[in-house]
Amino acid sequence: MNSTIRIRLKIIIYIAAAVLIALLLRLYFLQVISGQIYAEMATESVSRAASITAPRGNIYDRNGKLLVKSIPVAAVAVQPHILLQDEEALELLAGCLDMPPYSIRQELEEADISYLERVFLKTGIDKPTIIRIRENSQLLPGVEVVDVYLREYQYGVLASHILGYTGEISVEQLESGFYSGDYTGGDQIGLTGLEQQYENTLRGEKGEKIYEVDPLGRPVRIIEERDPVSGDDLYLTIDIELQKITEEALSNGIMEVRQKAPRDSEENYRVTGGSVVVLDVKNGGVLAMASFPTYDPGIFSGGISDQDWAYLNDADNQYPLNNRAVMSYAPGSVFKVVTAYAGLQENIISEHTSFTCRGTWYGLGSDFPKSCWSKSGHGSLSIRNAIKNSCDIYFYEVGYGLFVKMDNIEELLQKYSRVMGFGNTTGIDLPFEDEGRVPDRQWKKEYFEDRVEYTVWFPGDTVNMSIGQGDLLVTPLQMAAAYSTVANRGIQYIPHLVMETRDQSGSIGAESTVENYKDLELNEYYLELIEDGFDLVTKPGGTAAYTFRDFPTDEIPIAGKTGTAEVFGKQDFAWFASYAPIGNPEYAVVVMLEEAGGGGSNASPIAEKIYRYLFGLDN
Amino acid sequence: MMVGNKNIHKDSLGKLNRGKGGIKTVKFDIIFFLAVLCMAGFGILIIYSATRSSMPGGVTDPAYYLKRQSIFLGAGLVLFTGFQFINYRKIRDLWWIAASLGIIFLIAVLLFGYEVNGSKSWIDLGLFPIQPSEFAKIFMIITISFLLSRRRTEKENHISFKKVILACLAAAVFIALVLLEPDFGTALIYLMIFSGMLFVSGANFFYVIAVLAATAGGFFSALKLGIIKQYQLDRILIFLRPEVSTSGAGYNLYQSKMAIGSGGLAGKGLFLGTQTNLSYVPAHHTDFIFSVIGEELGFIGGFFVLAVMGFIIFRCFRIAARANNSFGMLLASGVGLMILSQVIINVGMTIGIMPIIGIPLPFLSSGGSSLITTMLGVALVSTVNIYRDTRKDHEIAYEHFSGGI
Repeated sequence: MNSTIRIRLKIIIYIAAAVLIALLLRLYFLQVISGQIYAEMATESVSRAASITAPRGNIYDRNGKLLVKSIPVAAVAVQPHILLQDEEALELLAGCLDMPPYSIRQELEEADISYLERVFLKTGIDKPTIIRIRENSQLLPGVEVVDVYLREYQYGVLASHILGYTGEISVEQLESGFYSGDYTGGDQIGLTGLEQQYENTLRGEKGEKIYEVDPLGRPVRIIEERDPVSGDDLYLTIDIELQKITEEALSNGIMEVRQKAPRDSEENYRVTGGSVVVLDVKNGGVLAMASFPTYDPGIFSGGISDQDWAYLNDADNQYPLNNRAVMSYAPGSVFKVVTAYAGLQENIISEHTSFTCRGTWYGLGSDFPKSCWSKSGHGSLSIRNAIKNSCDIYFYEVGYGLFVKMDNIEELLQKYSRVMGFGNTTGIDLPFEDEGRVPDRQWKKEYFEDRVEYTVWFPGDTVNMSIGQGDLLVTPLQMAAAYSTVANRGIQYIPHLVMETRDQSGSIGAESTVENYKDLELNEYYLELIEDGFDLVTKPGGTAAYTFRDFPTDEIPIAGKTGTAEVFGKQDFAWFASYAPIGNPEYAVVVMLEEAGGGGSNASPIAEKIYRYLFGLDN
Repeated sequence: MMVGNKNIHKDSLGKLNRGKGGIKTVKFDIIFFLAVLCMAGFGILIIYSATRSSMPGGVTDPAYYLKRQSIFLGAGLVLFTGFQFINYRKIRDLWWIAASLGIIFLIAVLLFGYEVNGSKSWIDLGLFPIQPSEFAKIFMIITISFLLSRRRTEKENHISFKKVILACLAAAVFIALVLLEPDFGTALIYLMIFSGMLFVSGANFFYVIAVLAATAGGFFSALKLGIIKQYQLDRILIFLRPEVSTSGAGYNLYQSKMAIGSGGLAGKGLFLGTQTNLSYVPAHHTDFIFSVIGEELGFIGGFFVLAVMGFIIFRCFRIAARANNSFGMLLASGVGLMILSQVIINVGMTIGIMPIIGIPLPFLSSGGSSLITTMLGVALVSTVNIYRDTRKDHEIAYEHFSGGI
């Protein structure tokens, strides 16, 4: 063989060897040196983790009756990133779910932009749909049928404001950082009421499923699985039977008042809403809390329809979602309890101090007459009868006296208001509690800063406030708590809804409410005097006498106070605040009706019905 | 020693001479054959692993590709055996048949073929499709071997300018036909085979340079003229930009590297490769078969494959060196170059150091055309070995005197 050729063959062989060795070196680098890195990358790209929803904790009333539970429901979970890339799959899914493709695409795009891993397109799909989706799973990458838990309300609309509702966590909530840890898109969270307040207790712990996926993201097999942990259960202070009675009494009462018209008007009372709070005097537990109008929390399960949502937010429907028990209103005469106590404590009045009511009062000056609700006047009264008759002029005198004392430097009426818990939240375990308002000099300055003439605190402001008018705002709950405190002779309990929490094994959780209270160290004697007045209100001659005419107030004395608050541009708001039985008080009942006229005529009957039930009078 | 057609005498190994002018059959290179068999058998195993759980093309039988490849291997072995009885010199005499067949095949696919992945490179024969550009490699090798080999009238193999030009033209025809499909990858292989053969033939090195330069020139002007689009070039050169891992070709490469890299030293185990089994690596039973090997058998597996391949290639060239006949030498070299170039580019592609062009890995990639072509190639190499001229140089010289061979 020609030597040139031999050399050339040799060269080719050497080149071949060199290149093969180069390949080997590269392989070595990839596999042996960087092998670990690639192995990790490979596992990451091949496995996917999906969370398993945990069943939410149940909610029970004080007697162990189930109020809300979680039921598993099939839902369609979609990974937006994957499905958006497959037009045919998207249309196929639209057909299965009977949803228009463009709305699916829109929802997925919104989710994709927010980097949401998973979106629940439809919750609560029926068996044929499940089968159809599963049959077509090869053609539907990124689509999965999973179990989610929806809330089922055992008592329909009862206690809806207390319980609240759940819904899907929004992108804003996820980004807000408020929901730390384990929340992802598609999760159900409590949005109002106890569901929100006790979100951390109720939600449990998600499980996790790690599975192998193919390049299209479809699961191939499960690598690892961790079971979810159910949320803890809530046991409420609420008695669901009492709640039922209360809500019925409230709505029936409102319907009746709507049939009536004020004396000087053709139009009936509008009664746009109302609220009742029943507290356990002995520990501050909420036995019932009603707000009218109400709604069915069940419509939120699985996602509320646009229609329903529009209805709930339409002004004409009086905003049923609002819990009026924790919204603030002008209290009217039910506030006189504060004025009375302040007057007694500050020695403006004593047990026998009397003033004469002639229908009009000129204490502020002849240019500023103020009238009593009774045009002819009540004559001479001391404190007990002033409460019994709710004489405004008597309390004008007290209020004025409080103002005058030390030139109102200490703003005494405001001070006692706050002591009794007004102007601040009660601390109840509900979200969105209104703190009301105790107006004072400072407040006026800030509130009316644009209108100089209103920034001064006038004596008339205190006088108005003394009968529960003016810029004073209180919630029915605050009022119930205040009257409880009077019943307890100065022991102020924090109102609460949850008695205890229990986990799945039955152990009682750390959140069980130890009875929180504060001893306000009030003068018991003065409170007794006031209570005497309350006693007379529900007996013949009192402002609520007619309502309680058939009630055995001798055996079961009811301490009550009526209120009729004037509100600018609206019909009067009717109030009735009470507790019973005097001597060994157990319950405090406060009723408030919007635009319903007189508290004595229109609010107190509702309380009377509730007391009948509480004391077993109609059995 | 006497000259003449019917001379019979003993050669240095003690075997009887038979046939024309002192050419005898010698020991069959069994190790070579075993290496080939080993690679092909290994290929079947790997293909089974690659296809049994994620069947490409919508087939339902997990052993479908296994069976198919086995059948093709069987056919290849039959061919191989048959060829062992043919003296390769006869093939040289019939070179023009090979050339014609090659060109006919390539034209046929342009006329009757169907498109796959953008190039019309397959003809459907009913039972199975064939890829003519595979078979045509052998035909081109035969043709070029003839054109560059010693003529009867020549004393030594003198590679004249005329020979070079003829060879270039012939190669150009083959390459052009392949380029018309268009199959750039295979055309590159053809080019590498041809340049290698030109080099090995002993032609002036300048000619080799000229060919390469002309190709480069042709390539750039094609790019300029828009015959080759920029995006096609980008796709091919994506291996230079490893950060692009999500789009088409970049995705293939990314997945392949990941599969191979994750194999580590000893691999995840046969049949246990997740990336390849789950079809993360596309075309994992054809072009990217090496990633299955890399993932399942690790560095050791890759080393084994490259070692055996290297051995086969080396053997081809050794047989070429011992051919004592320029045609045989070129034939064996051509086949060696065919296997070498494909191994380098295919394996290099899967590990990210070569451009992404679709060419099969000999013996291992699934596909009848590739396997049978390769088997044909090694069959030819084997006959070059068996029928090689074992006479000493002076013996040959005597032959020339009397105008033999």
